[in-house]
Amino acid sequence: MRNYRHILLTFFPVYSVIVGLFLSGIMMLFLGENPLVVYRDILLFAFRDIYNIADIFAKAVPLIFTGLAFGFAYRASLFNIGAQGQFYMGCLASVSCSLYLSFLPKPLLLSICLLSSLVLGGSWGSLIGYAKARFNANEFLLSLMSTYVAIAVMNFLIRGPLIESKGEYPQTDVIAQSAWIPQLISHTRLHIGLVLALLIAAMAYFILWKTTLGFKIRAVGMNRNAARFAGIDEKKIFITVFFISGAFAGLAGFTEVNGIQHMLVQGFNPLIGTEGIGIAILGNAHPFGIVLSALLFGALKVGGALAVQVSNISSSFLGIMEGFVMLSVIISYFIRQRIMIALEKKRLQEESKVENQ
Amino acid sequence: MIIEGLLSRTIQMSTPLIIGALAEVLVERAGVMNIAIEGIFLLGAWAGFVGTYCTGSQIVGLIAAIVIGMLVGLCYGYITVKLKQHQIVTGTAINILAAGLALYFYRVLFGVPLLPLTVEPLARLNIPLLSSIPVIGEILFRQNILTYMAFVVVFVLHWLLFKTKSGLIIRSTGANPEAVDAAGINVDTVRFKAVLCSSALCGLAGAFYSMGFLGLFTEDIIGGRGWIAFAICFLGNWNPIGAAIGGLIFGLADATSIVIQTSGFKLIPNEFIIAIPYILTIVATISRKEFRVPEYLGIPYIKEGGR
Repeated sequence: MRNYRHILLTFFPVYSVIVGLFLSGIMMLFLGENPLVVYRDILLFAFRDIYNIADIFAKAVPLIFTGLAFGFAYRASLFNIGAQGQFYMGCLASVSCSLYLSFLPKPLLLSICLLSSLVLGGSWGSLIGYAKARFNANEFLLSLMSTYVAIAVMNFLIRGPLIESKGEYPQTDVIAQSAWIPQLISHTRLHIGLVLALLIAAMAYFILWKTTLGFKIRAVGMNRNAARFAGIDEKKIFITVFFISGAFAGLAGFTEVNGIQHMLVQGFNPLIGTEGIGIAILGNAHPFGIVLSALLFGALKVGGALAVQVSNISSSFLGIMEGFVMLSVIISYFIRQRIMIALEKKRLQEESKVENQ
Repeated sequence: MIIEGLLSRTIQMSTPLIIGALAEVLVERAGVMNIAIEGIFLLGAWAGFVGTYCTGSQIVGLIAAIVIGMLVGLCYGYITVKLKQHQIVTGTAINILAAGLALYFYRVLFGVPLLPLTVEPLARLNIPLLSSIPVIGEILFRQNILTYMAFVVVFVLHWLLFKTKSGLIIRSTGANPEAVDAAGINVDTVRFKAVLCSSALCGLAGAFYSMGFLGLFTEDIIGGRGWIAFAICFLGNWNPIGAAIGGLIFGLADATSIVIQTSGFKLIPNEFIIAIPYILTIVATISRKEFRVPEYLGIPYIKEGGR
């Protein structure tokens, strides 16, 4: 009986997703759409062929990375709000390598793109960690603002040195086929990047819970003063954490440019960093939780895109769905906590009754 | 001439930043970070525009912006203060939701207009006598109503926080909630009220972007200005006067970037000129040595032995 209840409680966030979708459905009424019909059509469309299902996973790939970017730093009680900027840096590194080194053989080229996006994203992030360590600057503000600077750098490069050969729009040329990440399922957008994302998530778990570095990171996260007294150099940890965290976000740039877009367009994926924050928290800042909630957001994105196709709902509806789902999940955490405390109380009371008999 | 224009622009552009930063000072002094500020700015801009466009009355627009700010504040305050959930996460969720709602309902109301819809921007109010002082009159006393209000609120908030009993209670709620609780004052109620007031002010600040000078609403009308107001609150050391000074500096940066963009100056690429306020925030954050953060900022108050 108790197990049964616990299983019900574990799936609590799932119920709240339904509540979030219900609230978004109400918003559809304003455009004169019947939410039941729209949701039914979305489901029918989604399961008609493999393309949309694969797209859920394809859309989840960069979100896993940006989710990890926030979640990893969060474990050290550091706030990396700048995943968006680190992502753009990764994009820039990856697209530049793909454009200028396209003569190299595919495996070598892809490895260079991967490494360069990782290093540039990580370095951009580690600047924040350095400022935090050296000047005791507030990392929340710095990472927030670093995104806008990254956008400026990207816009400048895309309008200048990296602009397409026609020189018309602020975007790069399409990169050579040799720089494309191979597909996982043909005729879909799902690519090997998914495997990379899962490996990186596993690696994040490994670093955090199976290495000395991870122990130090979590120690700094739990109690900075205690960690300092234990001889942990917190400044080094700040820089390292921000490098790793930025590197994760940079990798999202690699998979998006080389796996999906095959070019870089000004201002693309503008919400990926913010969504990463939501994903990290819904996943409890745990790598495996992050993978699951990234899949949830991937599903929402595909659903949102389908909603635009099957009805006259505009694309901004996606924000409404994401927002309502996140809010209802946050509230569900509160309710679940309440229920668990109530259950625990009841259990203790029953036990004491048994003892008294 | 150029200098006058620049400084007049500075005062104008600093208005929403000052209002937003003051709102943030008020709420953070009570121990809550209003992370939803960016979303409230956007919804405020939306409501101000829609209210004015649909009724033809700017007063209705301003009231709509305040009301929508308070509605968001109600939601944010309930989840973070009453339910004690994480502020950054709740704020992020609300920011995403706000962007979705603003664009969606713009579409619901107006469809996809071929030309951007416009409203009459708030008129400049020339203050009699003062506005005819050469130079200073041009810069300071030919602004719109919100600008004058912003500067009045600076002093009102300073007086409220440091000279009144309510101010003492607000500051103690952020610095030592246990003491406030021991004095028999409900910490959550103080915080909830602070969130509501702050959100109402933020809504008004957002309305300045749509109604203050452009007279239109676009998707990227706020573009991180809410976050700058948030940063100014930190950089001004949670002090209304500091927030006003910070607001003026960032207003100057904003105005400079507008003036340079519209002039023929081509030495620095446009992209970096747009980034001036953000770079300035970074420089200020790094160079500022002492922050007097309210002790319990961002930490929900859970009564001992409660529940």
